[in-house]
Amino acid sequence: MNTWILLPIFLPIAVGIGLLFSSFRMHLKMTGEGAAPAAENTNLIHGIAGAVLGISAAAALVCAWTGEKSVILFYLMKDVPIYFHIDKTGSLFVTVMSLVWLAVCIYAFVYMKHEGEEARFFGFYLVVYGVLVALDFSGNLVTLYFFYELMTLSSMPLVLHNGSREAIMAALKYLFYSMCGAYLGLFAIFFLYRYCDTLAFTAGGSLNQALIQGNEGIVRIAVLAMVVGFGAKAGMFPLHAWLPAAHPVAPTPASAALSGIIVKCGVLAIIRGVYYVVGAEFVRGTWVQTVWMTISLLTVFMGSMLAYREPVLKKRLAYSTVSQVSYILFGLSVLSPTGMAGALLHTVFHAFIKAALFMTAGIFLFRKGKSRVDDYVGIGKEMPVTLWCYTFASLALVGIPPTSGFISKWYLAQGALQGDIGVFRYVGPAVLLVSALLTAGYLLPVTMKGFLPGKDRSVHTGKETIDRMTVMLVIMALAAVVLGIFPNPLVGYTSEIAASLM
Amino acid sequence: MNSYFMVIAVLLPILGGVLIPLIPFKSRAWMAVYMEVIVLAASVLVFLLILNRPEQSFVLFRFTGKLSVSFHLDGLGSVFAGLVAFLWPLAVLYSVEYMKHEGHERYFFMFYIVTYGVTLGIAMAQDILTLYFFYEMLTMVTLPLIMHTLTREAILASRTYLYYSLGGAAFAFIGMIFVLSYGTTANFIPGGVLDMERIGEKSGLLLLVYVLCFCGFSVKAAMFPFCAWLPKAGVAPTPVTALLHAVAVVKAGAFATMRITYFSFGTELLHGTWAQEFLMALVIFTIVYGCSRALKETHIKRRLAWSTVSNLSYILFGVVLMTPLGLEGALSHMICHAFMKICAFFCAGAIIYKTGKNYIFELNGFGRKMPKVFIAFTVSGLALMGVPGLCGFIGKWNLAEAAVASEEPLAWIGVPALLISAILTAIYMLSVSVRAFFPGRNFDYQTISNVKDPNWLMTLPLAVFVIVMLVLGLHSQPLLGIFEAVASAVG
Repeated sequence: MNTWILLPIFLPIAVGIGLLFSSFRMHLKMTGEGAAPAAENTNLIHGIAGAVLGISAAAALVCAWTGEKSVILFYLMKDVPIYFHIDKTGSLFVTVMSLVWLAVCIYAFVYMKHEGEEARFFGFYLVVYGVLVALDFSGNLVTLYFFYELMTLSSMPLVLHNGSREAIMAALKYLFYSMCGAYLGLFAIFFLYRYCDTLAFTAGGSLNQALIQGNEGIVRIAVLAMVVGFGAKAGMFPLHAWLPAAHPVAPTPASAALSGIIVKCGVLAIIRGVYYVVGAEFVRGTWVQTVWMTISLLTVFMGSMLAYREPVLKKRLAYSTVSQVSYILFGLSVLSPTGMAGALLHTVFHAFIKAALFMTAGIFLFRKGKSRVDDYVGIGKEMPVTLWCYTFASLALVGIPPTSGFISKWYLAQGALQGDIGVFRYVGPAVLLVSALLTAGYLLPVTMKGFLPGKDRSVHTGKETIDRMTVMLVIMALAAVVLGIFPNPLVGYTSEIAASLM
Repeated sequence: MNSYFMVIAVLLPILGGVLIPLIPFKSRAWMAVYMEVIVLAASVLVFLLILNRPEQSFVLFRFTGKLSVSFHLDGLGSVFAGLVAFLWPLAVLYSVEYMKHEGHERYFFMFYIVTYGVTLGIAMAQDILTLYFFYEMLTMVTLPLIMHTLTREAILASRTYLYYSLGGAAFAFIGMIFVLSYGTTANFIPGGVLDMERIGEKSGLLLLVYVLCFCGFSVKAAMFPFCAWLPKAGVAPTPVTALLHAVAVVKAGAFATMRITYFSFGTELLHGTWAQEFLMALVIFTIVYGCSRALKETHIKRRLAWSTVSNLSYILFGVVLMTPLGLEGALSHMICHAFMKICAFFCAGAIIYKTGKNYIFELNGFGRKMPKVFIAFTVSGLALMGVPGLCGFIGKWNLAEAAVASEEPLAWIGVPALLISAILTAIYMLSVSVRAFFPGRNFDYQTISNVKDPNWLMTLPLAVFVIVMLVLGLHSQPLLGIFEAVASAVG
């Protein structure tokens, strides 16, 4: 049974590479003979991608919810295995990831008609899925790092998909920021390898107290480097700049996946590093925690401000991601069980919410071909279902009860208030509150102007096209709301994880 | 095996090479077959020697007392000898295709193959004099290779190379004299040969001599401030740049520093002194400096040459850590870097050979037209960055682990230097790949319709290198075990 873990990892990677290979072959023919590009057999590609993703996701979920499992794939170096282990945190992440990934995939079947080169897109999309499953299931820090790097490399082509100069530059920016972050993480791994008993994830960490005597300073620096480094993927200041550059130019399904899921891998890496290898005790009350809390709060505020000023919807949502993911990082930095539970809840909720918001932006872009918020005045008359979904997701992100965002923010604020963190007990919740106001300020005007364009504006009133894109959007938006109305199982589950770590 | 096989391994390529201009070959193909046979025979012999190492040493001739030219194959020597023995046959294969249009082939190949024997001589040198002897010879036989094209640029580059190398050798010579007069023997013995009683109060002087000697040998390993010759030497034909200036010559320099540090002066004398700190500071600076220069460079071979400068200092960093782990890291990066860099250079050479393009901004869209070459180039770029799963990660991991374990603040600073260099590497290598594979939406492939992959003589070595990079990256344990055994002897 244990080896079944490998199926959801390697099946999508293998099939994805096959798709890429076929796409590459077609290009060779095309550029070789100067013939017109042959039309891709999109139905076949969709069939393959959908089927493989479905099978893999099912397998991943079955693996995740049938108890703990582990498998050692091979030894990279003498005592450094590539090792998969499924625990509660991994199960949570893989479940959210699989659901959103599937929904975005179905959404992309329609959306990618506009972008072309579907074999390449879905090829990379499948590869990234396999890599992400591996990342969620990884059982030690080196395995995590291995797949973290692969994730960066395989998701980069999703960003530069349309091949414009802007997209290529954004992709390079994404690549280099991510690499920079990953190397900061690697810096920490080098030190932790020496000062921890094992790099395998153990709740509470495995620092070797005898070895560390006298070397606390450098290990603390290493831990901060890891937080900042893996924080790059999560869009944390000071390595956040790739995010607003990469999201808007990527095809919308890719932005949804990036924003909903891939940034969360930075969160997962930090959780694994801090809570499972170093141990929260080592960080609590030190300057590392202070710096961590400061930059995460700074990012929360900065992201919201920048989003508030941003006229292009996708870019606005990207800044919003910067801000929202730092909520999660703040929750982690508090190092209290409640804060941790809040962070995990927000990870889940934000994945659904942000996927829904990006899907909306994509539908607007797909049907109207316009990207600025000003262009969407009166759009509620045209596409009421889409805009309603957007509105519910927005409310959830702002944190209006009874939507999901309220629950997670409640726990985040509670965590901060209960934590022994000095002045941040008050500063933290205050910043979260201000940022929530700003969130309302940058998201809800789209709804208001969309439904109430004013009298002097002639609006197009036709019947809204309902297709698979809309269906997926509705599902995501429903999830964002319903999870807030029935939060108990999830709250219980995340609290259990948090309690086991502290 | 009997010890005189070592001499055969050294002399076979030297004599076989010298004969090339003399034998009246019927055609080019026959010459190619002849060369490949000579080189393969020598390589097979080397691997047999490594597998059954002769216990005895072999004295070729003796001057007086301690001074002799003699061979002995120990663990460290086997690693270096095995590396060049693996690469040389592949490089000859590649050169046969590459040199088609360069002219003066026979002289080129003569020196190219003689260099093989000389490099083996360095690897198998038993004592410091033999090492010095072959080291000087290496300068002489590689000089004509650099000025092969006889352009003004090439002649100037070879002159720079000559001055740097001879100057370096002069410093190394000082070190040799001191080892001879203060050591118990001239041979390389793990742990060093210096006689502590005879040194007495003069350890300060010996440290200075060590620094001079290290700097002298590190000229070939292109440590700052002695690195300027290497990028200039990029005017040589690519087989030379790839094999000699990324592996054989430059690693002979690194190899010599390992010999004098761990086998002559001994880490006991050096560890924790100003000499170690001074050299480590230089090396750490070179790691970052080389990469920054690579980033600025738009000429593809010069960019790779600067990258070599940086990567060689990784190896030297391992050497100056002066711990067994450091030596292990240095050896693993020496092997890993050899494969990555020769692969990258061969790709650059294939591009130059097929299209005559030398600058990176001319390579737009080439990825689709030369997929094999650019896939190999990308893999070597990823490996150089240290992406796990490829061999560069192994070298980096071992070096960084050694640095962390040494618990010295300066060595700790080396770790971020390695990582800064890694991010710079990512930028200067992957920007080439991205440009080649994604030229932009409106790129017209008709403008480069004549660009094609080269034939199997060139792609076979590339394929071998890619496979080696993957295998070493995923399953390095057997090799690391060997390095561990070598390194544990010196500790």
